[in-house]
Amino acid sequence: MMDELELLKRDWQKKDKQLPQLSFDDIYKMIWKKSSSIVKWIFLISIIEFLVPHLLYFLPSMSKNLAVWKDLGLGNFLLISNVLQYTVVLYFIFQFYRRYREISTLDNAKKLLSNILKTRKTVKYYVIFCLSLIFMSFIVMAVGIYLNEDPMVAMGYNYQPENISPEKLKTILISTVVVLGIVVTLVMGCIYFLLYGILLKKLKKNYKELKEMDI
Amino acid sequence: MTKDLEHQFVTELECNQNIVHKVCTLYTNDRDSHNDLFQEITIQLWKAYPKFRGESKFSTWMYRVALNTAITLYRKSKKSIPTQDYESVMFKITADEYDPTEEQQLKLMYNAVRQLGDVDKALVFLYLEDKDYREIAETLGITEVNARVKMNRIKNKLKTILNP
Repeated sequence: MMDELELLKRDWQKKDKQLPQLSFDDIYKMIWKKSSSIVKWIFLISIIEFLVPHLLYFLPSMSKNLAVWKDLGLGNFLLISNVLQYTVVLYFIFQFYRRYREISTLDNAKKLLSNILKTRKTVKYYVIFCLSLIFMSFIVMAVGIYLNEDPMVAMGYNYQPENISPEKLKTILISTVVVLGIVVTLVMGCIYFLLYGILLKKLKKNYKELKEMDI
Repeated sequence: MTKDLEHQFVTELECNQNIVHKVCTLYTNDRDSHNDLFQEITIQLWKAYPKFRGESKFSTWMYRVALNTAITLYRKSKKSIPTQDYESVMFKITADEYDPTEEQQLKLMYNAVRQLGDVDKALVFLYLEDKDYREIAETLGITEVNARVKMNRIKNKLKTILNP
């Protein structure tokens, strides 16, 4: 084996003549091209992840929901959760920015990989936080319906179905809200883990390999 | 000032472009991917260039950025299939005197090296470039002892690929 590797080394060092040669102009043009590195993708997707939960509130159905919340007597919960949410969001964005700045191709490979994975982890925690918040708000809404005398009116419907008892109606409403909460959370979770998994597969594998070397 | 920096950078890279081409050769299978990776490494080098203070040689500094890009940042755009014309140019054997056994041996070795994982390839690359274990360890972020151990394991791995 040693001989073969030495043979390869000798051949490798003589390879220069066969390699392509780019001119000054070719290289000059390249430095203005856009990077398509994984870090750039992670950065863009993270920004989207920070924004999406907030964009949801701009949907017309969502703003209608805000009124429902008030009518269900949950206005205070909404206020507190909003304050909490924005504090946490700001904290996460700050952390994310700090981590992103730490990424440098001048580090050794292990440190670079570790920094990227750390950046990603920050966003991961943020997404888990948002998903929990979304799920929690569905649960709180279910509780609100349970405690409300007249949930249909509170939700903006002015008629009472006749052939159904109020208790049964309440049960149906609550289960619908809970099921919807689970579905929305799962769907968003899946989209997230899919994106995360595809982008980070290679990084995780290489990082693991470098880490295992040092045990 | 910026113009000077650009000019200086491109000139240095032009002189040292073989290093980048060699990294691309190990990490890609066809010409398009080769060019893609070359471009990405160039962009990363340019981004990092303002931080290059000349403490080390330009080429030493390049190894790190180029390998980091290949191991970490580069995303293969598609599943690339080795193309014949690329193979024949990149892996044309350069033995001084034509020796069919030697040529065959080298061909098999090149193929075996390309089957290794990204990190293993980086070690082999630095080894082929005649870097010492200290530099290999520093570039990858492992200890020197572990770099040695790892290199021995890779040698065994190559042996298994060559003689299944």
